[in-house]
Formats: sequence, structure tokens, C-alpha cells
Amino acid sequence: MKKNNILEVKNGVFEITLTINGEKLVLSTKNGESLLDALRRWGLKGVKKGCDTGDCGSCTVIVNGTPVLGCLVPAVAAHDGDIITIEGLGTVQKPHPIQKAFVEAGAVQCGFCIPGMILSSKHLLDRMPNPSEAEIRKALDGNLCRCTGYVKQIEAVKMAAKRLR
Amino acid sequence: MTHIKYYAFPQTVNEALALLLNKKYKAMAVAGGTLVAKTLPDTVETYLDLKNLPIKGIKISGGNLIIGAGASFDEIDHSKLCRSWAGGVVSSAAAKCSSQLIRNMATIGGNVARPHSFNIFPVVLLGLDARVKVVSKAGAKTVDFAGLYAPGFGLKPGMECIITEIIIPAKTKKWRCEFIKLAKTESSWESYITLFFAAQKEGKTITQARVAVGALSPKPFRASAAEKAFLSGGAHNAATAFAMELDSARAGEYRSVAAANLLKRFIKGLV
Repeated sequence: MKKNNILEVKNGVFEITLTINGEKLVLSTKNGESLLDALRRWGLKGVKKGCDTGDCGSCTVIVNGTPVLGCLVPAVAAHDGDIITIEGLGTVQKPHPIQKAFVEAGAVQCGFCIPGMILSSKHLLDRMPNPSEAEIRKALDGNLCRCTGYVKQIEAVKMAAKRLR
Repeated sequence: MTHIKYYAFPQTVNEALALLLNKKYKAMAVAGGTLVAKTLPDTVETYLDLKNLPIKGIKISGGNLIIGAGASFDEIDHSKLCRSWAGGVVSSAAAKCSSQLIRNMATIGGNVARPHSFNIFPVVLLGLDARVKVVSKAGAKTVDFAGLYAPGFGLKPGMECIITEIIIPAKTKKWRCEFIKLAKTESSWESYITLFFAAQKEGKTITQARVAVGALSPKPFRASAAEKAFLSGGAHNAATAFAMELDSARAGEYRSVAAANLLKRFIKGLV
């Protein structure tokens, strides 16, 4: 096996190379650390820690084009990966159309689940520009919201889809 | 997983196998990681990440449906080939697994390597007479899916061998099938009941019948008495035989009654 295909822990730490929100980085991750914990330690606090057991979707990040649960992925597994967090999508001054739609539709209450929901929505709209309501609900079924009744978020995704087409 | 010393990203099956069999590494293969990522045994020192292996494709070969062990539930759910097979039951079963985020990560290989009774695919593959291609020290071989869990198999998937392909035989392409999952919510991983029923009908005669049981027993199994009664024609007799088999498997009274009624409904729906 090629040397760069096997990482060895040194002093309890793996050194990994990865791209986060377009920036190529070399970072250290503690042995046993999840991608969720590592991203938050590296300052990306938009990745939320909810259940930490893969049930709530608050820790959703996009790894190599696919939304995954950051709490179930060892950070070292992201070696050579391309990661997008909510910070990579838009800014307060220039929000992404999906972020804008969530605000305008009134889909945000406490906001804790929203980064994950927006990243799941982005993946859906990237591969399915005109989703049905059932398809939206299916795409978001892993992102739990404890404030709302999943009505405004669906409207927001429909609104964003229209604007992105 | 703080006891891990190495994290490996093999690019080929041979590389993965070499590492798995090298005693220095004490390796365990992990596919999607949703079942085992957080619960690796203490004895494991190398996390063998299978995500880069070229075992993700879904194709038809020799008339059979071949699903690469690394295909995710989401890929199976959206695969045109899977959707066109046996009324789309393979895809619709994949879609019933937990949540979209889990379906993006979890793979069919990982799901069958650990025969947990809540897992979706063991019950479906048992009912479809599937075969599994595994690669081990002795080379590649294809075994009946049921054989994977038999004591005589002698190899632990992910520890001593790697599952590379799931083969669903051509004869099942036109079967009438139903996969049923009853759980607290649609996205619950834990299910009260998972069942798979299949039949092939020629004229008015049932020529093939399959009744497979998942989350009603510790290990998935085929209900052979129910299948026999199903073939001989009577929905009522099949349901009675099925309930008795489920009682023997200690499935619980309400679940046995519910499962038997679901079988009866499936058989009546064939008419």
C-alpha cells in the first residue's frame, strides 16, 4: 500500500490534509475525534452539536459533494476530502439564495437546526432543481427541528428552487 | 476509537485485503461507518476505510442484478436498474432506511456484514435468493446470502474477508414483491417488524413463494412452513403456518398476529 494511503497516529494525533470551504489546510485531529468536534475546534461553529448519535442532523456537513453526519464521521476520515460547512455557503452581507429563502419564508426560529437543513437543501437542489414536496420532505427527513412543524422550511426550499432555476 | 494506531485508505480490494490479513495491523474494515464507527472493538488498531474501493457500481451482468457492496442506500434508492427490478422493491427498501443523511453514508455491504435484525437488506436479500461475492485469503468466492450467517461459513466479514458484490439472480426480476417496515416513525432505525414477501405467478398458479423475516427475531430467517403453505394455495393456511413459525422464534404475540395478517394481505393481493 502506498505510504500516503495509510496515516499513523503520533502522540495521539493524526495529521490530515483537507479542503474546507475552498481553502486547502493541513490540520491535526485527536485520535477518536469526530469531524463535528474537529470542525468546531477549528472555529467552524456553524456545525452544531445536537444529539451526537446520528439522529438529529444538526451536524450536517457536505463531504465530497454528499451531506453526511459530522458526528458519525471520524475527522481523520476526511483526509484528502473536500468539505463545505454553512460558513462556506454565504455571508451575512451576501447570503446564499437558500439562506435568503429560509429567512424570507420565516423558516428560522431558534436556528439550531438550520445550518444542517440548508446544507441538505443545497444538495437536493443541486441534483434535483425542481423537487416535489415529497422529495423535499424526504431529503430533509434527517434534519430534526424542535421549534416548527416543518411547513415553513418546505416553503423556503420551494422558494429557493424557483429562484435558483 | 482512541486505541486506533493507523487509519488506512486502500485504493484496491487487494490492498485492503493485504492489510486486513496482516496481523501487525489488527485491522477492521469499515464501509459507511454508521453502525460501527463509534463502536469499534478495543482489539482493533487499524481502521480500514473502504470508501475508495472500486466496489460501488450497480450493473446487470449475465441477466443478474449486481450491486457493488460499496453502493450507498441513496445510490440504490435512485438507481434506475434497482428501480426496474422486482417492482422496485430493492430501491423502495433502501428508501425506508432511517434518514436521508444515514442513507447517504450507509452501504449495502456494511448493512449485510452485520446481521442486526433491524437492518434493512438481510431480509430483502434472503427473500430474493441473493448471493454474495467475498474476497478472502483463499481468493474470491460466491456464496448464498443465507450462508453468510451460517456457522459453517467460517469467515467474519470485515475482519477476515471483504464483501465486494451482492448478486440478485435474474429469475427474480419479474417477481411480485413487498418489503414492509413498521416502526415508530418512518425514519426510525429500530423497527417492530420488517418482512419481505415475494411470489411468481404463472397463470393462476404460484410457482415461487418467499417469506423472509427480519426484525422479529435476532437473526433474519426464511419461514419455510409459510412458504410451503403459500405455494399450496391458501392465504389462511400460509398465515397460520407463519404465525406458528413466528411463535417458535419468540416474535411476540402481537407482532406474530400482525405479520401473519400482512402475509395474508399480500397473498390476497396477488389474485
